Amino acid sequence: MSAIGIRIESVSKRFAHRVKGEVYAVRSVSLTVQPAELLTLLGPSGCGKTTTLRMIAGFEQPDSGRVFIGEQDVTGLMANQRNIGFVFQNYALFPHLSVFENVAYGLRVQRQPEGDISRAVSDVLALVGLQGYERQFPNQLSGGEQQRVALARAIVIRPRVLLFDEPLSNLDAKLRVHMRGELRELQKRLDITAVYVTHDQEEAMAISDRIAVMHQGAIVQEGTAEDLYRRPASEFVAQFIGRTNLLAGRVVSAGPGGIEVDVVGQRIRVSDDGTRAGLGQTVHLVVRPEVIELRPEDSGAGVPGTIVSRTFLGEKAEYEVRVGTDLLQVASYNPVQRGLFPVGQRVTLHFPTEGIQLLSEGSA
Amino acid sequence: MGGPAGRFLIRRSPCFLEASFVIGIAAMRANSWRRTLRDPALFATVVTLWALLALFILFPLANLLARTFIEGGHFTLANLGAILRDANHRQAFWNSLLLAALVGLCGTILGFLYAFTAVRANLSRAWITVLDAASLLLLISPPFTSAIAMIFSFGARGLITYHLLGIKGFTVYGLHSTLFSETFTYFPIAYLTLKPILHGIDPNVEDMAFSLGSSRWRVFRTVTLPLTIPGLANAFLLLFAASLADFATPLILAGNSFPVLPTQAYLQITGLFDLKGGAVLSFVLLVPALAVYLLQRFWVSRRYYVTITGKVGAQTAIKSVAPWARAPLLCACLLVAGVILYFYALLFYASVVVALGANHAWTWQHYRVIFTEGLKAIHDTLIIGGAGMPLGGLYGILLGYLVAKKIFPGRQAMEIVSMINYALPGTIVGIAYLIAFNDPPLVLTGTALIIVACYVFRYSPTGIRATVALLQQIDPSIEEASESLGASSGTTFRRITLPLILPAFFAGLGVVFIRSMTAISATIFLVSINWTLITVRILENMTELSLGPAAAFSILVVIIVFVVIILISGLLRRFRAAGVVEMTSILGG
Repeated sequence: MSAIGIRIESVSKRFAHRVKGEVYAVRSVSLTVQPAELLTLLGPSGCGKTTTLRMIAGFEQPDSGRVFIGEQDVTGLMANQRNIGFVFQNYALFPHLSVFENVAYGLRVQRQPEGDISRAVSDVLALVGLQGYERQFPNQLSGGEQQRVALARAIVIRPRVLLFDEPLSNLDAKLRVHMRGELRELQKRLDITAVYVTHDQEEAMAISDRIAVMHQGAIVQEGTAEDLYRRPASEFVAQFIGRTNLLAGRVVSAGPGGIEVDVVGQRIRVSDDGTRAGLGQTVHLVVRPEVIELRPEDSGAGVPGTIVSRTFLGEKAEYEVRVGTDLLQVASYNPVQRGLFPVGQRVTLHFPTEGIQLLSEGSA
Repeated sequence: MGGPAGRFLIRRSPCFLEASFVIGIAAMRANSWRRTLRDPALFATVVTLWALLALFILFPLANLLARTFIEGGHFTLANLGAILRDANHRQAFWNSLLLAALVGLCGTILGFLYAFTAVRANLSRAWITVLDAASLLLLISPPFTSAIAMIFSFGARGLITYHLLGIKGFTVYGLHSTLFSETFTYFPIAYLTLKPILHGIDPNVEDMAFSLGSSRWRVFRTVTLPLTIPGLANAFLLLFAASLADFATPLILAGNSFPVLPTQAYLQITGLFDLKGGAVLSFVLLVPALAVYLLQRFWVSRRYYVTITGKVGAQTAIKSVAPWARAPLLCACLLVAGVILYFYALLFYASVVVALGANHAWTWQHYRVIFTEGLKAIHDTLIIGGAGMPLGGLYGILLGYLVAKKIFPGRQAMEIVSMINYALPGTIVGIAYLIAFNDPPLVLTGTALIIVACYVFRYSPTGIRATVALLQQIDPSIEEASESLGASSGTTFRRITLPLILPAFFAGLGVVFIRSMTAISATIFLVSINWTLITVRILENMTELSLGPAAAFSILVVIIVFVVIILISGLLRRFRAAGVVEMTSILGG
């Protein structure tokens, strides 16, 4: 069975809110998920990502718009007619059924013969590494094991698509990293289309083919992790994906190859992606903390600054550096070898001449 | 006996709560009428339940009010005035309030002593079991067991007053012994209410106060006690209501010098055949009972402090009680337990001697009597309890499921109405049934049906609440998971929801059966030559001074109830083993 895609077309969902009256949880969202792709809906809580996922699953009915799974319009179908696999944040295992019966549930609903059921359940439990757990009950399992049962239960019915609602958020940090690797591998092995919801940008970057960033009920940018990091389309995306310094500057020269911007007393060359910023106009630059290089004071040209705080994290050191009235974040990698600057030290900041992104005006 | 004795912790992630809150409001806005009409099964169930509630709760209550306030088709306060002008009735009103307040106070103190010792004194498992067993014994007995034991001990030829101390002419009847007996009968309610509250106070909070330099006494005074105050208020009101409604204890112990409302109403009807007077008196009783119920339900029970914040802190040894204070606390509790044990030992002893206080020769004659002359009462009680049990269990989970899970017009009203007979003193319910079903259109007096209906609609709210609490604990995503696996809503209900609320079904039918065995205040008005009850026979035996059979009957009831409780907790344990949540106490409600 080859994978099929998902398409949602200008889907909206409103809720009544006790204070604000009627509010949009999701406002005119359109999205296409390619066959066998893992797409992540990423955003802060309340951005509408879970509601979008629940509308794909059929737990919520959109107020307007259409949902397609493959070429089939499933907008009016109940969840039990959509043939989807859903993995819940709290696992939602049936507490009164054994692991075997939990996994077999969907197959029993389909009235499959007993022999097929036990074979399929054994296979899928082996796949998620839970052989021998058949007779256990959910309350006897650890969080990670419960998560695997939830996964096994979702995939054993051979769903057309897999939907994940923050499946790892109840696990501890180490297990979370391990499980996301397993999830990704399983999704590739099953060659199945998946939509994954999370608020954790690192998880999203690690697991996804593509990420759709959501904010206030709308998708604000779609792309690979690298796209989003290198070319954020808005301040929100720039701040949400990784850490960033958002610096305002004035355009001092504009030419066909790009523009030069005066930022904190330094001229920085930026390739203009068609924003066509005019001379003298104010623009915003996305300067990632790790592209700024710190050198001792008086080491040639550069912007002078003072170290305000320092956080040593092992593989990197994070500084806050005061430059004029601005406070800049700077990350310095391999600090053990390269040495640390003490708080209060005067330093020079060096900006690269490339790789700095211009935020289009108005979106900042 | 409502209240949070059987409280449940709700396990949900905060994110989900937020989402479900928003969805819930959206759903409420939706046109609930249209939705109900589109679902014929839901519509039929709602209509049937409303018909039953109207017939067995609203109709009798309306009749009671009509009998009180309507004379010849006109509204009148004359009946009420006539009753209130009678000094004896006014005295009964104030006596009822005084007794209820004192029982509330003493019972709460005793319950707090018990709960504090059980939760905070670092007792071993075995001691806590002893305390639990002593209070459980009281909860499962007929409400006047301790009253009978009081008569045996302190009566005219009482074991203690006459034989042990040689006091002649000691009067057992009056406020003192009614108060003593009711305090002992009802303090377990306070214990069950306060125990989970004390348990819910994180010892780390007390540790924090210790770390700030407080002494034990100061921690108790400034941290533990203030956090318990809403619970204490709740326990007081529950005990106040229980005492206000108690009928059998004052009938046996209060005597002529200390009339209270329930007994006055009873005597008005059975002694003077004055149905109207009884109705008016029970209306007078209704006013404070309703006030206390509303206060408890809508004010006190919402004032609990939530001390369970996020993750439970590290386990810490409880240090709130100084080592030297443990022994006195335990001794006080054991003294109470000793008195309870003495009551039951005495009851048993009275059932196997010829005549307590006069002839202490060993005999089985009283048991022979109850299994020959009294066989009809045993037989009738078991039939009525057996019929009420499945009906009550079914009614409880059906109504609980509807109000917790379905959206239909009048949902909240249905929940409130279903609680009325439970909240009202039994005397009122009994008189209301008597008035309503004595005349056409529906004559039910003298039938078993009226007694069964009375029990079902009076004692099922425990099952309703247990169902609602269980359903709230079941995360909706569990049902969504079933749906996403292809199951229809019918399959989901049958295979997922129903098994998960089965414990509430057992708890509900258990309570209906137990109360059928032990209750008397409502049904004493409803028994007849055709259908009688063990509890009524016990009371008759007491008034005829055939104390031996009364004791034998009481022991029989305790044994039957004990067996039923063991069976039901066995069933509950079977389901709990399969991973289903705990039911703290089936007797909590």
